[in-house]
Amino acid sequence: MAAPRSWALWSFCGCGWSRAVSGCRLPGLRSSSPRGPLGARLLSQEKEATETHFGFETVSEEEKGGKVYQVFESVAKKYDVMNDMMSLGIHRVWKDLLLWKMRPFPGTQLLDVAGGTGLAWILGDAEELPFDDNKFDVYTIAFGIRNVTHIDQALQEAHRVLKPGGRFLCLEFSQVNNPLLSRLYDVYSFQVIPVLGEVIAGDWKSYQYLVESIRQFPSQEEFKEMIEDAGFQKVTYENLTSGIVAIHSGFKLYLR
Amino acid sequence: MATLLRGVLRPLYAFRGGPGPPAGVPFRAVSHGTGLLYPEHIPTSVLQKVLLAAGSAGMALYDPYRHDMVAVLGETTGRRTLKVLRDQMKRDPEGAQILQERPRISLSTLDMGKLRSLPEGSFGRAYLHFLDVNVASGRGMTRVSPDTRAPTRFVDDEELAYVIQRYREIHDMLHALLGMPTNILGEIVVKWFEAVQTGLPMCVLSALFGPIRLSAQSLQLLISELIPWAVENGRRAPCVLNVYYERRWEQPLQALRQELGITEPPLRVEGLV
Repeated sequence: MAAPRSWALWSFCGCGWSRAVSGCRLPGLRSSSPRGPLGARLLSQEKEATETHFGFETVSEEEKGGKVYQVFESVAKKYDVMNDMMSLGIHRVWKDLLLWKMRPFPGTQLLDVAGGTGLAWILGDAEELPFDDNKFDVYTIAFGIRNVTHIDQALQEAHRVLKPGGRFLCLEFSQVNNPLLSRLYDVYSFQVIPVLGEVIAGDWKSYQYLVESIRQFPSQEEFKEMIEDAGFQKVTYENLTSGIVAIHSGFKLYLR
Repeated sequence: MATLLRGVLRPLYAFRGGPGPPAGVPFRAVSHGTGLLYPEHIPTSVLQKVLLAAGSAGMALYDPYRHDMVAVLGETTGRRTLKVLRDQMKRDPEGAQILQERPRISLSTLDMGKLRSLPEGSFGRAYLHFLDVNVASGRGMTRVSPDTRAPTRFVDDEELAYVIQRYREIHDMLHALLGMPTNILGEIVVKWFEAVQTGLPMCVLSALFGPIRLSAQSLQLLISELIPWAVENGRRAPCVLNVYYERRWEQPLQALRQELGITEPPLRVEGLV
């Protein structure tokens, strides 16, 4: 979650309360949804023509992974400083609340995806995790799922690697529910944040992408439905700071 | 047109939802492709320019190695002055040619081989020597290369963007002409010259605040000898933006200095920091 490393690296350590961080797709690493022989690859290649968003820009799905990778390569060095500056340190409170909600105890097998720098880590793809089924008690992803090209696939993967009874927790920017705050938030996001990025990190564009990608992310209700579509039950969400961020939670109750 | 595009592409989005930009928020379609005034252009609102100017000024003071911040300060505060400079260039025959042809100085456009073959004492050789000394050595001097000049981004006029780019790219030539090294003292002297020459707010601010970090001895020399010399030369010389340097490589350095009314510096600045 916090720490200045290339965010594309993720990790897993199997003992006690284990933390692992997983990255979103790397350039060159293409995820083919039907895994298997080369034949299946050709099928997914037809999807190349599909377009998606990169902030407010439109790009091909092929490109998005690479572009997101570049953003995080660029921001890695000043990641924590920038997070502190932009959120006035509040991002630490949000992450604390996530942990509090999780209530981990010694022995909890935890997978933290897109975790930035952390403990031992493993490199991988959120849309195609290198783990067996039914492995983890808790799957968390904080401020990462927004950047994944195929969110539905990441959710399906989360469902797959969780044990029955396992919990999915996602901390992510969401939609502000208060109209006045929403206007202030927009002004702050679009007028101030890219300037902060330029002055502190010498990088306007990455922070422009950041605030745009937040606007492109589904609302609390829409994301809840997506989580349910991936097979999770008892899906709930909790707004923090009037909806600037939300914690979504879901449980895997049955074996797929 | 951007809205049409979004409407067409919406069904193709990989996931449901995606509200897109809320009303009133600057839509980035303008920042992509057709809306840009030049390739590196980042359109900014007045508020953003104010914040950028303040932020870059603060950061440049805090961390003198953030040359990019000095550049941003120049771009966000220079609009009025750049117009005056551009008009000055238009009125001068050599300046007008520069505006027309838009020469750029970078390692790819410079013919290093040709420069090396020029006679000793020529402007081209002096410039080359300056590059060699300041790129090769690391004796407390800043690494320079024609390519360390970042492209203009925040100027909302493409001709003015070129003018400030040109100003940045001839900065090294001024070092060679004034005989100033790229240590902090040398940079301040050149900034004083540029401040008088161009009137750019960024130059004036750098000239006034740059000396803050100097030792008492350097400061004393600066105030008593170097600044008066730089100011006098800056006033006397015609606008340095009107000199087509790329056409004057063969010209003897002394002759060029004489043409511009630039005299020898009152003392050697190398080794003084």
